[in-house]
Amino acid sequence: MQNPHVIFGVLIAMGAVWTLGWAIIMARSGRSIPVEQLERSENRIRVGLLGGLAAIAIVVFVLSLPRLPFAGSRRAELGPPQVTITATAVQWGWIISRDRLTAGIPIEFDVTSRDVNHDFAIYDPDGRLLTQVQAMPGYINRLVYRFSAPGTYTVRCLEYCGVGHHMMTARLTVARQE
Amino acid sequence: MTSPHRRAPLADAAGLTPLLAPDRSNSSVLRVALVYLVVGLGSFLLMGLLGLLMRLDQGGILVIAPVWFYRVMTLHGAGMVASILLAVTGGLAAAVSATTRLSARVLWIALVIYFIGTSFVILATLVGGFGGGWTVLYPLPTHGLVWTLDAALAMYAGYLFIALGLLLYCVHMLHALARAHGGFVRLFALRFLFSLGRDTRDPLPRPPELIAGVISIDGIAAATAGMLYLVPIFLHAAGVMSVDALYAKNTVLLFGHTMANLSIYVGAGLVYAALPAFTGRPWRTTWAVVCAWDLIIILMLTNYSHHLYADFAQPVGLQLLAEIASYAVALPSFIVTIIGALTLIYRSGIRWTAAPMLLALGIWGWVFGGLGAVLDATIPVNQVLHNTMWVPAHFHTYYLLGAVAFAWGYLFYMVHELSDRRAARASSIAVWLYGIGGAGFILMFFVAGANSVPRRYAVHLTQWQMYARVAVPFVVVLAFGLAWLSWDLARRFLSAWRGTEGPALQS
Ligand SMILES: [Cu+2]
Repeated sequence: MQNPHVIFGVLIAMGAVWTLGWAIIMARSGRSIPVEQLERSENRIRVGLLGGLAAIAIVVFVLSLPRLPFAGSRRAELGPPQVTITATAVQWGWIISRDRLTAGIPIEFDVTSRDVNHDFAIYDPDGRLLTQVQAMPGYINRLVYRFSAPGTYTVRCLEYCGVGHHMMTARLTVARQE
Repeated sequence: MTSPHRRAPLADAAGLTPLLAPDRSNSSVLRVALVYLVVGLGSFLLMGLLGLLMRLDQGGILVIAPVWFYRVMTLHGAGMVASILLAVTGGLAAAVSATTRLSARVLWIALVIYFIGTSFVILATLVGGFGGGWTVLYPLPTHGLVWTLDAALAMYAGYLFIALGLLLYCVHMLHALARAHGGFVRLFALRFLFSLGRDTRDPLPRPPELIAGVISIDGIAAATAGMLYLVPIFLHAAGVMSVDALYAKNTVLLFGHTMANLSIYVGAGLVYAALPAFTGRPWRTTWAVVCAWDLIIILMLTNYSHHLYADFAQPVGLQLLAEIASYAVALPSFIVTIIGALTLIYRSGIRWTAAPMLLALGIWGWVFGGLGAVLDATIPVNQVLHNTMWVPAHFHTYYLLGAVAFAWGYLFYMVHELSDRRAARASSIAVWLYGIGGAGFILMFFVAGANSVPRRYAVHLTQWQMYARVAVPFVVVLAFGLAWLSWDLARRFLSAWRGTEGPALQS
């Protein structure tokens, strides 16, 4: 559920099914028949779709519940955080209390902002977005995360915050667990 | 000599309500509607050129200074939302005007207020150097460091006028519809709805009238949210009070997200109004249509907060509600409007000219964009897609290949109907170029989003530039298709304009 390439694959698969269905209707738009002949099957299709899609939506919703990113859910999933780090955003940089971390243990980032809204997003060494939370003035948002592998991670700002937005990066060095 | 009865060829053939009322009482409304559509789609083209400029910059092909990139980005966003909404609301006014007496004067006044608003936005960005993004997320506008407080206030003033213009349009529309139908219970077919279709004493509204009522209520709600956002900020600027960042985020998204959503739902109303003319089948007000659209009144206002999933300060209950509402709002639109449109087309013997092709393209794009949106509205998925290029991917899909295609399709329908001149055969090729160019363009946004490329970055890392570079040729194809459609439109526009006065004045 959290690999963007898989999500993209799901989009393309669903999009292909839709495009095929749409194209079949368009291809069969000629040779007129009275609309009354279609009404019963139209209603059957509607009821079927309503049931099917609602069932899928309910399943996806239930599946998403144990994977919520909010602090309570992550603590329940990963255990109580063993390290707490503060990350404060300013236009345009990050003040992070500690940038040398350890893999394999739950870490809590207490994220806030001194000026405008920012977003604290952690990218892995291959450039993939792993997790994120908004940095808001007047609020402390708690992001609990466990690094699975050592390496150099990049923090990027993902909430537009002015002309220095794209330069707002920081580095986190994650070491192997002793 | 032209026969005075040679009117409304499309509507007559299908036994449908003609665009021009038989007593020609809506001539002046049709003219102002044409102005809304042409001005809206014209500014859409200009804003599109700004979009191309940004993609060239992100591809490293034509690099501009970040401070200019963000100004252009702000103008592009605000300008697109305003111009697309203008175009589709103009179309909807035309669609209901044959049966509902609208005041052309009120529509002109709303347009002038809207223009004042957009002038402020242009001044704030291009002259004042404002680059706080079209989302004007507080407190960035008053804390941009490189632009002045005056520029921010000018931007906010622009939004105030745009919200007022929208409010005037919606209040007038709602009032006119309620008067024509004898109250809200009848306008929203509530007795019919709650009796499960058994109580048919009240005459039912036509779908475009029902939809116009629905979007007017939500437009009033959006404008109100805009006021709830703007007034405290003005008071803050005056030193009276401070504004909570989470409050500001909720109100500005309720305002902005609903404004953006309105365009697509108004666009859907245009499909209900125009598609029957080409398929020769009326789109009846069934119980499903009433139920779907009455539900949308509420659902459209509850799903905005899926943009706040990364704001952990937002109560978790609201987060879960946003996920449910985001799924729920997709169901009536897909099951009723999309399936209804496809049924209307299936084996109808439709004659594929540019206008119905544009509507069909919009149906495709609306659903494809919706798929991207529903995925992103799933909280764990959103964790890795939020504020990546996936976000512009989904809304560009349902704007460019949804609402905008509907607006072009409706304008082509109006021009065909009023001028009695169909689109040139070759314009079908232009629609294909529009579709292929648009699809390639948005697909590169989705690919970039899936590769974690952030949105709203003036400077892209070398490994990200490829996505923008591949997108550029598609944008060129798209622009060529749109220019071609504009040319076809220009050829026939004058006779359509004259056609608003009825056949006697037609040469
Ligand atoms: Cu930022």
